[in-house]
Parts: sequence; structure tokens; C-alpha cells
Amino acid sequence: MLEMLSPFFHLLLFPGGLFALACGLLLKGVDRKVAARLQRRIGPPLHQPFVDLIKLWHKDSSVPETAQSRVFAWAPHVGVTGMALAALLIPIGGVYTPSGAYGDLLVLLYLLAVPAVALMIGGAASGSPFGAIGFSREMSMMLAYEGPLLLALLSVALKVGLATGGVATFSLAEIVRYQQAHGALLFDPVMWPAVVTFLFVIPANLGVVPFDIPEAESEILEGPLLEYSGKELGLFQIMSALKMVVVLGLGVTLFCPTAPGGLLLSLAWFIFKCLVLMVASVTVVRSATGRLRIDQAFSFYFKWPEALGVASLILVLTTRNFP
Amino acid sequence: MKTFLKKVAAQSPWLYRINAGSCNGCDVELATTACISRYDVERLGCKYCGSPKHADIVLITGPMTTRVKEKVLRLYAEIPDPKVTVAVGICPISCGVFRDSYAIEGPIDKYFPVDINVPGCPPRPQAIIEGIAEAISVWRTRL
Repeated sequence: MLEMLSPFFHLLLFPGGLFALACGLLLKGVDRKVAARLQRRIGPPLHQPFVDLIKLWHKDSSVPETAQSRVFAWAPHVGVTGMALAALLIPIGGVYTPSGAYGDLLVLLYLLAVPAVALMIGGAASGSPFGAIGFSREMSMMLAYEGPLLLALLSVALKVGLATGGVATFSLAEIVRYQQAHGALLFDPVMWPAVVTFLFVIPANLGVVPFDIPEAESEILEGPLLEYSGKELGLFQIMSALKMVVVLGLGVTLFCPTAPGGLLLSLAWFIFKCLVLMVASVTVVRSATGRLRIDQAFSFYFKWPEALGVASLILVLTTRNFP
Repeated sequence: MKTFLKKVAAQSPWLYRINAGSCNGCDVELATTACISRYDVERLGCKYCGSPKHADIVLITGPMTTRVKEKVLRLYAEIPDPKVTVAVGICPISCGVFRDSYAIEGPIDKYFPVDINVPGCPPRPQAIIEGIAEAISVWRTRL
């Protein structure tokens, strides 16, 4: 009986569902606070994202007359579901290892594309020209950053796979186990190009400045989100909070999943690593830069992260230990 | 429980600006409340949002010229309830120096209820933030 219930527990409470949501909102609160302090402002309190979410639940929601109302209403639900499933796959070193039956790195890669697709569908169904512009920009961004993301994931998969005698392993549990035995990949110079590639991908994947081009509020009025209000907008906020945890958690898993031991300590260590990763790759970047144009962002991703990703792949293949 | 949630929700007012034919002076002052670290409006939990559908507190500047009237009324209708309206600057309150012009359809409270007036040409950022704080206390009663 308990065996049957455990997937639901994992999906709804821990590590997916409520835990991931609370974690994501907390991360967002810290992000806003640190960004404000970096600009010498006082900034909102840490629990502000929670408050925003509760507020959105109290507001009216409306569907525009020009929208495809059913698709418009379901798009945020699709996004949240995709991200909740993805949160299920993120291992927490020393606390939680996802069962192989849930999926592996490849499934996670597909699930990571779901929020962007949900935004695109919602924007296209809203019937607003700004939504349509947001749709096309979101699509271009996705084309730009999926390549480097795939290369970074593949480098880690190859590194671990080759070291354990196979070809490439896409099992997340295997990747964590290898690093817990042989030390984190973060400290292996061979993996540094992959680390940098992944760091480059994070801001675009999470849609923050300078790569928040699809949701630019000052030029296309938040694009796909323009027509959403009340609870549906709240669902999109939940989706982006979950995505924050998933993307940062994936980074931690790939490059530094080691744990100090002890349940609570390991959990706190995981959250701390996510925080450090977020401040380094999201907060500092977004408070120091301005928004790029879509063509600049596109060509940037096709030049530097892509090249780094290829370099990392070659590096991993050439430095393997021949038996 | 419900009253507690409403009380919590009142701490997250999102701001939206409508320019009803303003000379841009008040809009610059509004920008300083967000962009200049000395007058940080985000510490009240506020956030300037780009879409009228996300707004809770509406900040209106300008004397409502004939050309923008239809658009302003449409925008105002788009904002979901509950909402609070703040008139920023003397123009939306009494049309200021543009009063009696053939191109002006103001003042703004001919068309929809205004809750808070922040007079000035332009008002100082401190005055705007005080107006927003007042608007939050009004908004709390409407949730």
C-alpha cells in the first residue's frame, strides 16, 4: 500500500509539489531582495513572492473576447504539470534519489521545454498581437539555448558513462552516485567548459534580464502573460517558481551533488547550493545588465555557449582514461 | 483564515501607469520612485507591471486629452477588480495649466472614481510614495 502511495507523495509533497513550490518562491524572494540590495535599495521582504501569489488568488480573472478561451485557460495548467513532474526527477544529494521508473535525464530535458511551450500556446491563444510577438521570441530563444543545454548535459552524461565503463549514462541516480564516490565534477578542470555553458544557459532558460526578451514588460507588455490575470497568472508564477528549482537543482545535480550526510543538513546544503548558483547566474547578471535584442541574444547563444559546449564535449572524449 | 489571507494579500499591490496625455513630467517622477534607490517603492511590496490586467493600483497622469480619451477608458475597463485609482499631478485633478483648452476632456473624475489625489506639477517622489501608501490602505478595505 505504502509502495503504491510513494509516487503521489513524491509528486505532491516532497521533493515535488509543495516543497519545490515553497523552495522556488523562497529563491525568488531572495533574488528580489539581493537584486535590490545590489542596487542600494531596501527591497521587498523575503516572503514577497508568497504574498503576490495569495494576492493573485483574490483577484478577478478574465478571458479576452478574441482568445481561444479553452486553450487559453488550460495553457498554465499544462506548464505547472510539466514542471511538477520535472521536480520529481531532481535528486537531492543524501536525501532523495528519484526512482528510475520516473524517468532520466532525457525525460527531464523534454519536461524542461514544457513551460516555454505553455507560454507560447498561451500567448498564441490570447489573441493579442503582443502575445504573438512573445510567441515568436520565445520560440527563437528556445532554439538558441536548447543546443548549449543539450551539449552541457551530454558532456556530463558522457563523462560519467565513460568513467563507469559504458558509453553515456542518462540516469540521474548514476550521475549522483559517481560524483559522491569520485568527487564533484565542478572541481574537475575537464568539466569547466560544461559548467560555464550551463551557467550561460540558466538566465535564458529562466527568462530573466538580459534574456527576458519574450516577456519584456517595457516593450511588449509582458508578451504571452499580457492577457492573463488573477488565478491563471498565479499559475504561471507557480510554474516559474518550480522551474527555478528544477533548473538550479539540475545544475547542482550535474556538477556538485555531494552531501555532508544527515537528512536535514543535506537538505539545507542542497538549498544553499541552489541559492549560491542563483545569486551567481541570475541575480548578479540581471542587476548588472540591460535587456538584449532578440537577434543579439540569438547570435550570442549560437557563438559562445555553443562553442564552449562543443569544446567541452571534445575535451571529455579526448581525456577519458583508456583501459 | 479568510481575513488573514486577505490581510496578507494586501501587502502586494502592483502598480500600473496610465498616461492620459501628460507632459511626461509626472511620469519621470513616477520612474524615480522605482529606479532611484533613495525612493524605493518596492519596499512596500509594489511592483510596476506592464499589463493592465495585472494591476491593483492605477496611477493616472495627464489631463485626459481628446485623442487618448477612448483608449484610457478602454484601459481602465481592462483592469480587474478590486482596484484603486490614484491621480498623480495637478492635471488629472483639475487639468492644471491646460484647463479650458479645446483639446482637453478632463478632469479625470468625470469618467471614473478617483480615490487618492497627489497634487503637484510635478509632485515630489516622497508625495507620490505617500499617495501610494494611502492607496494601499484604501485597497486593503476593498479586497
